[in-house]
Amino acid sequence: MSATALWGWMVLIALGISVGGVAWRLRGLLARPLRPDRSPARGSAWRGILYAFTMGMMPWAKESTRQHLLPYLRGVLFHVGIFATLASLAVSPWRLSLPAPLAVGGLVLTGIGAAGGVIGILMRIFDERLRALSHPDDYAAVALVTAWQAAGVAFWADPRWMAVFYGLSALTLVAIPVTKIRHCIYFFFSRFFFGLFYGRRAVLG
Amino acid sequence: MSELIQQALTTFEKSLDRRLLASLEVCARCGICAESCHVFAAEPEFRNAPAAKAEAVRRFYRRLHDPIGRLFPWWVGAKDLREADLEELAEIAFGACTLCRRCTMNCPMGVDTALIMRAARAMLTAVGKAPEMLVQLADAAIAREENLEFFREFYIDQIRELERELQEQTGDPEARIPVEKAGAEILYVALSGAHTILPAAILFHAVGADWTLSMFEAANYGYFLADIQRAKAIARRIVDEARRLGVKEIILAECGHAYTVLRWEAPNWFDDFPFRVRSIIEVAAEWIQQGRLPLDPSANPEPVTYHDSCNLGRNGGLLEEPRIILRAVVQDFREMTPNRAENFCCGGGAGLVAVPEWYEKRMRAGHRKVEQIRRTGAQIVAASCDNCRLQLGDLSDYYGMGVQVSGLMDLVVKAYLAARRMEMAVPTASVPVSA
Repeated sequence: MSATALWGWMVLIALGISVGGVAWRLRGLLARPLRPDRSPARGSAWRGILYAFTMGMMPWAKESTRQHLLPYLRGVLFHVGIFATLASLAVSPWRLSLPAPLAVGGLVLTGIGAAGGVIGILMRIFDERLRALSHPDDYAAVALVTAWQAAGVAFWADPRWMAVFYGLSALTLVAIPVTKIRHCIYFFFSRFFFGLFYGRRAVLG
Repeated sequence: MSELIQQALTTFEKSLDRRLLASLEVCARCGICAESCHVFAAEPEFRNAPAAKAEAVRRFYRRLHDPIGRLFPWWVGAKDLREADLEELAEIAFGACTLCRRCTMNCPMGVDTALIMRAARAMLTAVGKAPEMLVQLADAAIAREENLEFFREFYIDQIRELERELQEQTGDPEARIPVEKAGAEILYVALSGAHTILPAAILFHAVGADWTLSMFEAANYGYFLADIQRAKAIARRIVDEARRLGVKEIILAECGHAYTVLRWEAPNWFDDFPFRVRSIIEVAAEWIQQGRLPLDPSANPEPVTYHDSCNLGRNGGLLEEPRIILRAVVQDFREMTPNRAENFCCGGGAGLVAVPEWYEKRMRAGHRKVEQIRRTGAQIVAASCDNCRLQLGDLSDYYGMGVQVSGLMDLVVKAYLAARRMEMAVPTASVPVSA
C-alpha cells in the first residue's frame, strides 16, 4: 500500500473519531435543559433566526465589524479557506481527473484561507489584547488549521503533497472536538439562540 | 473542595442550560466585543473586555467540563474555582457588567455574556457574596408582602394625599387613584415614590381608563441577584394581586428591569399567568396614535434627547414607542448616536446604581453616555427607566452636563395639561379650520 493510500485510510479513521467526538459534544449540549420561553412573543422568532444566520452576519450589521472591518474580513476569508480545504479533501481521490480551472480555484481559495490564518496567528502574537485573551490552545488550533490549508495549497499545486495533506487533514479532524476548533459545533446553536431571543422580542429580524 | 465552593458550583450547574453552555463554548477569543462595552470604552483595559470578563467563568467551566481542561488545564486556561476567586468574580459580575447585552449584539458568534454573568451572579448570591445592598432591597420587598396589613393603612393615606394633587392638576374633584379595586381592567404597578404614580394617574384619568393601583412596587432586586427564588417571590406579590382583583392587564411604570421581569421572565415562572403585561410606554404610544390624548408639544420647547434603556430597548423591543411619544410631545427631539438597539448603557443598570460603594465605578462607566448626550446639545434627557434616570442625573452632576433628566410620562403629562388648558381657554380650538 502506498503512503498516500495509507494516509487516506488514516483520514477516514480520523473522520470517524471526529464524528464520534462531535456527537459526544452534541450529546453534552442536548443533555442540558432547553428552558423554552413561554412569554408571549412581540416579534417573530423565525425571522430573528433567519436574520442571525444571514443579514446579521454581514460586515455592516454590527458596530464591531464595521469598526474592525479588515480583521472581520480576514476571519471570513480564513473560514472560506477552511470550507475550501474541506471540499479539497472530499474531492482529493479524483484530483488527477479534475478539470484544471477547479484545481486553480481550489489553490486560490485554500491559499487565501492559509494567508488569513497566518495573519490571524501574527495578530494573536502581536496584538496585546488578543495575546492577553489567548491560551496555548488558541495558537495551536489556528496554526494547525493554517498548516492544513497550506497543505491544501500544496496538494492543488502538486499532487505529490497528497500524503502530507492527508496527514494534516487527519490531525485537524481529530482536533475538532477537543480543541478551540470545536466552536464550529456551537456556532449554530449560539446564533440560533441569539436569533430566537431577539426575534421574539422584535429587536432584530 | 470547600463547602462554599461546592455550593457555588452546584448553583452554577443548575444554571447551565443549552443557551449558557453554547455561549461558554463558542467564544473564539477574537476580542472584537471589547469596544462595544461601555465599561471598556470608559477604561480600555483588557480586564474590561466582555470576553475577558466571561473568562472568569469559562476558566472553572473548562476545568469541570472540558477533558483537556481536566488533563492539561494550562493548555486551555482552565482553573479550579477557589474561595479567593469569588471576590474577584463578584467585582466582575456585579460591578463591571450591567447585563446590557451590547456585546452580544456585536459578537459574530452571538455570545450572550449577560447570561454568563447572570450565572455568576446566581452562584455568588447563593454563597453570600452578592452586594449586601441588593440583598437587603430584595428581602425588604418580600417582607412588605409578609407585613402587608402593617403597610396598607399608611400606603392608602399616602395615596389619598396624592389623589388631592391629582384632583388639583386635572381640575376634577372626582378624580381618583383607586387601590385594590376588584374587577378593574388594569393593574398599574408603579415604583416607590409619587413620580411614577401621579403622571400615570393623570393619563389614566385623561382616557377614562378602568384601573387600579398595585399595593406593591414594580422593582425586583431579586432579578439583579439572579436569584430566581427571590425574584419569583417578589413577582408573585403582583401576580397574586392581579389574580385576586381579576384584572385583564398589568401595566408597568417606566422601569427597565421590571419590564424584563414581568413581561419576559415571569410567564416562565408561573403556570397560571392570564394577563397581558405592557409598559406604560406602549400604552401611552397607543393612546397617542389613537388620538385619545390631546397634546401640545409647545409645553416642551427645549431640545430633548432619548436614552434607550437596555432592558426596554435592546432587550425588550420597545424601540419605536418612546419615539412615537416624543415626536408628539416635544418640539425638538434629537436622537443620540448610536441609538435604539445599538445604544450604550448608561452605566448604572443591573443594580449598580443601588450600590453606594460603586459610585465612582458607575460614573466612569457612564462616560460614553455623557459624550453621546453632549453631542446632541439637548437640555433634557428623557429616559424610561428609573435606574437610568438616577444614573443620568448623577452623571449630569458629576460631569457638569447641566441637563435635566425626565421620565417620558412627565413630558406627556406636561403636553397633555397644556393642551387641556388651551382647550378650556378656547373651546373651539379643536374644530377643523375648514369647518
